[in-house]
Amino acid sequence: MLTASNLSSLVIDSLCDEPREDGIAITMFYCDDFRDRQELTATNIMGAIVKQLAVRGEVLGHVQAAFQKAKMEVGGRGLRLPDMVRMLKQAIATLHQVFICIDALDECPPQHQLELLRSLKDILRESPRTRVFLTGRPQVEADITKCFADRLMVPISPKAHDITIYLEKKLEMDPEPVAMSDGLRAEILGIIPKEISETYAHPQPPFHTRSYVDLSSVDSSSFH
Amino acid sequence: MDRTEHVYSKAGNFNSFNTTNNYCYGAIADEHPEIMRWLSPLDPRRRHHDVRTDRLDGVGNWLLETSQFREWKSSEGGADEAVLFCYGDPAVGKTYLR
Repeated sequence: MLTASNLSSLVIDSLCDEPREDGIAITMFYCDDFRDRQELTATNIMGAIVKQLAVRGEVLGHVQAAFQKAKMEVGGRGLRLPDMVRMLKQAIATLHQVFICIDALDECPPQHQLELLRSLKDILRESPRTRVFLTGRPQVEADITKCFADRLMVPISPKAHDITIYLEKKLEMDPEPVAMSDGLRAEILGIIPKEISETYAHPQPPFHTRSYVDLSSVDSSSFH
Repeated sequence: MDRTEHVYSKAGNFNSFNTTNNYCYGAIADEHPEIMRWLSPLDPRRRHHDVRTDRLDGVGNWLLETSQFREWKSSEGGADEAVLFCYGDPAVGKTYLR
């Protein structure tokens, strides 16, 4: 019904649909695509972003030049993360603004997750207009905050309106519609959205931002 | 030379609008498969297509109206508000409804 991936695709679509000036590019990556599990590295994710920017003639020129150079060296050298970050910076520098949307960051192996965040930090330092949209489980927030102290955060929880849309669709697809009365339908649409949205109204905040019992007033001698 | 730039769109494939000296992603991939593989074996287009096909119109629109999303998108905060993190457990609410 409402998943982080759904939200990511919604954000990507809404950015794409906006009328905007030339020189703005929207890129994305979904870390929960299990078809690619073995190849899910920070370098490959950055490479997938560069690929999307290569639709630009000027970016393609840089990429082609780098490829030809690498081909001449040791019979075709593979790219390392710093090479990829350099190439992405170069691509971003030719554009007015780039949006990078990365979904399900927690599905990325931990070492690559941190490398990816550090690389994004490096890119933002040079291109502060770049916008990064991330989704993930609450536990990745600590690493995100380590790299981006001023990050904005929004908890994902289904709202009553989301649940109503979902239920209406389910009822529409009901294989036995004769078993449904108007009264029951109204009852379902009246009660379930409210109850579920209230259940999820206060999602657990990321671990390290929760408030803890204030221990400052506890007499430390009592521990001895 | 006028070409057409393609970006991900609501149609699930690529949307197009006219620009100059830009190329279509599909055409780039076809013309330079070796370069595309060299850059990355990963291609998020399939996953994006799958996810957006399952998405119901209107669900999650509230996010686009939040002050955090607007601030993030506007770029007025510069590097300070460059990152927006949306957090939650996977499929919040889905299991409850099954």
